[in-house]
Amino acid sequence: MAGLELERVVKRFGEVEVIHGVSMRIEDGEFAVLVGPSGCGKSTLLRMIAGLDSVSSGIVRIGGRTVNHVAPKDRDIAMVFQNYALYPHMTVARNMSFALEIAGAPKSVRDEKVARAAEILGLQTLLGRFPRQLSGGQRQRVAMGRAIVRDPQVFLFDEPLSNLDAKLRVQMRAEIKNLQQRLSATAVYVTHDQIEAMTMADRIVVLRDGSVEQIGSPLEVYDRPANSFVGGFIGSPAMNMLNGRIEGGDRPRFLTNDGLAIVLPSAPHAALGRAITLGVRPEHLTVGGPSAFAAQVEIVEPTGAETVLNVSWGSASLVCVLHARVAARPGETLPLGFDGAPLHFFDAATGVALAD
Amino acid sequence: MTEAVGVFEEVGRPRLPVAAALRLAALVVLATIVLYPLLATVLDGFKSLGELHDNPLGLPRQWDWSNYWAILGGGAYWRVLGNSLAIALATVFLTLVVGAMAAFAFAHIKFFGDRYLYAYLQLGLLFPSTAAILPVFIKVRDLGLLDSYWGVILPQVAFALSMAVLLLRNAFKQIPSELFDAALIDGCGYFRFFRHVTLPLSGPILSTVAVIGFVNSWNGYLLPLVVLDSESRYPWTLGLMAYQGQYSTSWQLVLAFITLTILPAILMFLIAQRYIVEGLTAGAVKG
Repeated sequence: MAGLELERVVKRFGEVEVIHGVSMRIEDGEFAVLVGPSGCGKSTLLRMIAGLDSVSSGIVRIGGRTVNHVAPKDRDIAMVFQNYALYPHMTVARNMSFALEIAGAPKSVRDEKVARAAEILGLQTLLGRFPRQLSGGQRQRVAMGRAIVRDPQVFLFDEPLSNLDAKLRVQMRAEIKNLQQRLSATAVYVTHDQIEAMTMADRIVVLRDGSVEQIGSPLEVYDRPANSFVGGFIGSPAMNMLNGRIEGGDRPRFLTNDGLAIVLPSAPHAALGRAITLGVRPEHLTVGGPSAFAAQVEIVEPTGAETVLNVSWGSASLVCVLHARVAARPGETLPLGFDGAPLHFFDAATGVALAD
Repeated sequence: MTEAVGVFEEVGRPRLPVAAALRLAALVVLATIVLYPLLATVLDGFKSLGELHDNPLGLPRQWDWSNYWAILGGGAYWRVLGNSLAIALATVFLTLVVGAMAAFAFAHIKFFGDRYLYAYLQLGLLFPSTAAILPVFIKVRDLGLLDSYWGVILPQVAFALSMAVLLLRNAFKQIPSELFDAALIDGCGYFRFFRHVTLPLSGPILSTVAVIGFVNSWNGYLLPLVVLDSESRYPWTLGLMAYQGQYSTSWQLVLAFITLTILPAILMFLIAQRYIVEGLTAGAVKG
């Protein structure tokens, strides 16, 4: 196993630059998730690591070795594709052993490795079948088996779960994570689903428009988003964003653009007296409290474990997740506050987080 | 008749019995026009010359196998059949090998001028080989291939390639690009991907191209006529002509000869029919 390093990696298609100098370091045995909205360049980045797309400039290193001009098969990687990409005319066993066959490994070695991978994934009884005879989850498992058989230094996953139904997705999520830990493999996983990113990653890389917005552990990214994009993208339901300004004084006050005001427990110095975006996560809003404001309830969505409220305050719409059951009805007013809640202050123009 | 009505009902469009009957009648007439001459040819091979004159269209009064046995026992039939087979098989083999590789390159590799080259190749579709027979003859002569199998095979391959590349390229393009990515990571280059993935997945379309090429070559007349000189190299189309010249009064023998020579092409077509339809309609409907 080995780490992975990208240094100012750029990708251009003709005149258009789609990846703008991405640098990151993924340690040996780490599970890194590249996450971002569609079109952010995460799959392109993965394909460059795999060697399926060329690198326009910058350096890709796997295990300390520069691999910019190394063919995919010699990079010591394995990749799991969104559509599985199993060879339809080969049995499960041959699908898994094909890479070894091409590399000229003797049949005894191939059989042994396939048997081991099949055992890890519970595929022993399916080895003689063809991909068309398998369910989606089984196909996904075969695709992983194909990766395991190669004993790679780095596993690459390109949205491997997006073709599965919701229930299977949750199950396979745990299976992949479990597998990666058992093999103590380095893995790079691409997804647009921030829940997958949060639950699976040791380290999340948030991408937007071909640039890295933030790199950090899931909780770091959740608790201390580097900017309003990351704050809004990570977490579900999304973070509430209020535009306004902070006024200083004994106790800082937040004035919304339509003139409503709340007293804040504290605010960073950098935020005082300027236009900001105030971010509050839905689960951090509470009912009542000394600085509560009157919000009007629009929609109530009880899920059993929690209650999701869509409320409006002035011209702003807020989402609020309450763990206690509340007897709120649409049209009523509810005192909501964020006393003691972690607040996020972003520069209104640039979106960059403002800290003390 | 009940069967035919049943078929229409399966499609889900109930039809008036009259419409179904008219349709059936039209089909029967068409089938008769196509099949009757063939059937008459087969039957007339069983008649004596005298009976052929009296009764050209009916069943033979006496089934006389001697015409067929005479042809099957003679060397001429097997020689022309062998020549036709050698030419057709070589044509099909070369068309498949060259056509599949060219189609693969056009389907998967971007290179300078690829689209112009492809369009140029497709011009062959607009161009009947008959129109080119004189230049082809001159070229074959310059290459020193007159009166040889190759003089027939190479031009036939050249004329079959446009269609072959068109059909094969479209089929190869249907193969998902992720398979190519996966194969690349598994250690395949273009050639191994072609050999281990593309070809095994393209059975139906390869059969289609093979059958079309085989039938065209098998029925080729003008090109062998122009190129071949020695009777020992004649395919069946020319052999038939020579045979007819030799036995011009014995129509029953000529008809038996025709029956026996077109038999292989018909058999081949019947066996491969399923693949031809599959290949020509592949990709038309999501399967």
